[in-house]
Amino acid sequence: MKIRAVAFNTFKEAIRDRVLYLLLFFAAASLIFSRILALLTVGDKTKIIMDAGLASISLFGVLMAILMGTGLVYKEIDKKTVYTLLSKPINRLQFLLGKFFGLMTTLFIMLGVMSLIFIIILLLHSGQITWKFFVSIAFIYLELGLITSVALLFSCFSTPILSSIFSLSFYLIGHLSWGIETLIKKMKPGVTKFLTQVVYTLLPDLENFNFKTEVVHNLPIPPKIFLFSFFYGIIYTFFILVLSMLVFRRRDFI
Amino acid sequence: MRKQILIGLLIISCGLFMGLKLITDQIPREKVPGASIIYIPSGKYLKYASFGYSTLLADLVYIWSIQYFSNTSVPERFQYLTHVYSIISELDPQYLDPYQVGALIAIYDAREFDTAMEILSQGLKKNPEQWIFPWQAGHYAQMILKDYELAKKYYKKAMEIPGAPPITKRLYSNAIYELGDYETAWKNWLEIYKNTDDERVKKIASNHLYRTKAAMDIQKIKHALKKYKDKFGQFPEKLDSLVSQGFLDGIPQDLDGQDYVYDRETGEITTAVIPWKR
Amino acid sequence: MSEAKVLEIKDLHKSFKSGFLGKKIKILKGISLEVKQGEIFGYLGPNGAGKTSTLKCILGLIFPDKGRINIFGFDHLSTKAKQKIGFLPENPYFYDYLTASEFLNFYSQLFQKQKTENIDDLLKLVGIEKSGNTQLRKFSKGMLQRLALAQTLLNDPELVLLDEPLGGLDPIGRKEIRDIILKLKQKGKTVFLSSHILQDIEMICDRVAVLVNGEVINQGRLEDLVSQEILFTEMTVSQINPRELEKFGKTLTQYGNRSLIKIYDPDKVQEILQIIDEKKGKVHSLVPRTQTLEDIFVGMVKQK
Repeated sequence: MKIRAVAFNTFKEAIRDRVLYLLLFFAAASLIFSRILALLTVGDKTKIIMDAGLASISLFGVLMAILMGTGLVYKEIDKKTVYTLLSKPINRLQFLLGKFFGLMTTLFIMLGVMSLIFIIILLLHSGQITWKFFVSIAFIYLELGLITSVALLFSCFSTPILSSIFSLSFYLIGHLSWGIETLIKKMKPGVTKFLTQVVYTLLPDLENFNFKTEVVHNLPIPPKIFLFSFFYGIIYTFFILVLSMLVFRRRDFI
Repeated sequence: MRKQILIGLLIISCGLFMGLKLITDQIPREKVPGASIIYIPSGKYLKYASFGYSTLLADLVYIWSIQYFSNTSVPERFQYLTHVYSIISELDPQYLDPYQVGALIAIYDAREFDTAMEILSQGLKKNPEQWIFPWQAGHYAQMILKDYELAKKYYKKAMEIPGAPPITKRLYSNAIYELGDYETAWKNWLEIYKNTDDERVKKIASNHLYRTKAAMDIQKIKHALKKYKDKFGQFPEKLDSLVSQGFLDGIPQDLDGQDYVYDRETGEITTAVIPWKR
Repeated sequence: MSEAKVLEIKDLHKSFKSGFLGKKIKILKGISLEVKQGEIFGYLGPNGAGKTSTLKCILGLIFPDKGRINIFGFDHLSTKAKQKIGFLPENPYFYDYLTASEFLNFYSQLFQKQKTENIDDLLKLVGIEKSGNTQLRKFSKGMLQRLALAQTLLNDPELVLLDEPLGGLDPIGRKEIRDIILKLKQKGKTVFLSSHILQDIEMICDRVAVLVNGEVINQGRLEDLVSQEILFTEMTVSQINPRELEKFGKTLTQYGNRSLIKIYDPDKVQEILQIIDEKKGKVHSLVPRTQTLEDIFVGMVKQK
């Protein structure tokens, strides 16, 4: 109940923020641009539209999550609104979760709007859309959840600019960590290899939520990966939220 | 107390997601590893998009290319070989390794000789002072195609670049020898012999001179032997007969003053020693 | 019941690390105090003494290094304690994208239902009922202060914590807020009032604690701290030669035909009045001056 109240307030803050509409505008522009890009190619136009479209949706979703997520807690402390809020019967866990779910609600709606634009463009072009597209969007949402929790974590102790850089790094690492796997394969067995393996397993693997290729090429997706990737995302997000709580629970608001 | 609960949750969730990560790694997913390659625009445009970090981008594309082309799970990976290496070339024309490695991949992995030549000639075009590119092209022509005519052409190109090491001239002379132009080969090797102070090079040149002279002599003797056989129906008992019958002015000797070895049965002439073991 | 402890602070310590090297600065050095049911408790001290830090400790915005805080016998961080308090910060900042009623509605959801006041009534009480649907970014400072008071009273709190409630207000605003505080007292609520403006406290507080440099140097009933003894009497007279009164006191100023005279001996006042009456002089004002909180306060700070 209290979480819902904070979440709703966070949602209100987000949808009354101009930054959101700016990003949405660019996302829409980028989606329409994917249609124009398809005109330039020789061969399969649908592939280009889907590639560029899904990339825009995921990229602008991440930008929204980071740009708004990094201000979630910081702004409350900076603007001192947290003083009165936390003097009410609400504990800090409820506060953090409210903030998290508030942004997640916003992102849900934004993702919905972007998907709608995408679907319209695609239907106008080829008139075909598969269920895999919705799976891909669902996993993009899962990824956004993880990114939001990371932005929230950094927001608890850092300024928005630094937090944005940190969160963006997290995003990039998450998409490039498979490179370490190649490295591990080439390493000799030993302590270094083991440690690299541990770091590799610890680092986020956002490729687990990336089903864009499968959608575009209409490849089969092993059903097991849905289940495990889903739980992987949920538990990683939970992990980051617990970490945020550890950071936030005894933070002094000076 | 709540801190302990949080830390406990932290450890449990950490263990769980690490386990899940290991599981998801085990699940094979269909990938189209080369699918994104068509999106790489030509190097010219990429250079503008690199915001001044074009050499770094070249490094990255190079490192990626090595991983990509050694990935045996993509059978059609060599389709974009020229494209990829021309991108690197556009991004950092002075970066020499990629040309050589690209050619190497083209020759030994892709087995596409023309692609290798294209990459190397691109390297030469961007770096006209680098003898290594024509030299390598000559090498591949010699080793893979056994085309000494082509090899000769490339070695000549390499030789003429200032700063090219003497070995280019030696390979050039060798190619001439292999093509059967012994007169020119002799002239070239003699020049090499005279112009060097290096004992090792002198020895190599001397061996080549020996071999060239022997080849010329043997050719001459064999020619005489053929005429002899045409007239008498069989090879002579001794080579002296060639002189006495007027087919030869004299029996030539090798560079060391030794007689050539004559096999009466087959009519073959060989040197007494192997040229490289003098 | 009137003697029940509403707020109890025991041996509160707090220090902050300053700078990169982490040099510790002690803000609170062992504060202990008790606030009883139904009283207005003044928490006095100069700027930087640690008043706001104490309040933040009570509200759980900062965490003390040592010490215990109980509200109505509950731990100060418990929901049960927070359900019964209202807090007015020094410079109220709120979500400027919300309207006033949205804002109060949001906060009221944080309390257990049916325990909060009607929002329209609250807006009327603080006098901004016409601006209920205006975004807070368009509010003036005075209106924000009123809204802040409204959110403080949202849950009909048993204990109201006010941080510099009269700072930055115009005289009318001050009077209104003072009236509201007194009304709260009438309703049996307890008020904890932090201020560096002494007149506020002097006029309405039952008990005070004086805080200097993170330590409570004095606390008690206002009457105990301030003696009722008359120090001197000031008298404004006219139509009489001031020289005739000089044996009783000192002439401070003269303007027009009026003069202000300071009389040290209170017993002499009656005598002077008689003399003036005899000489057909006029008395315009007669003010006995007792010791003020300010006098005590300045004395205490100086002692430190």
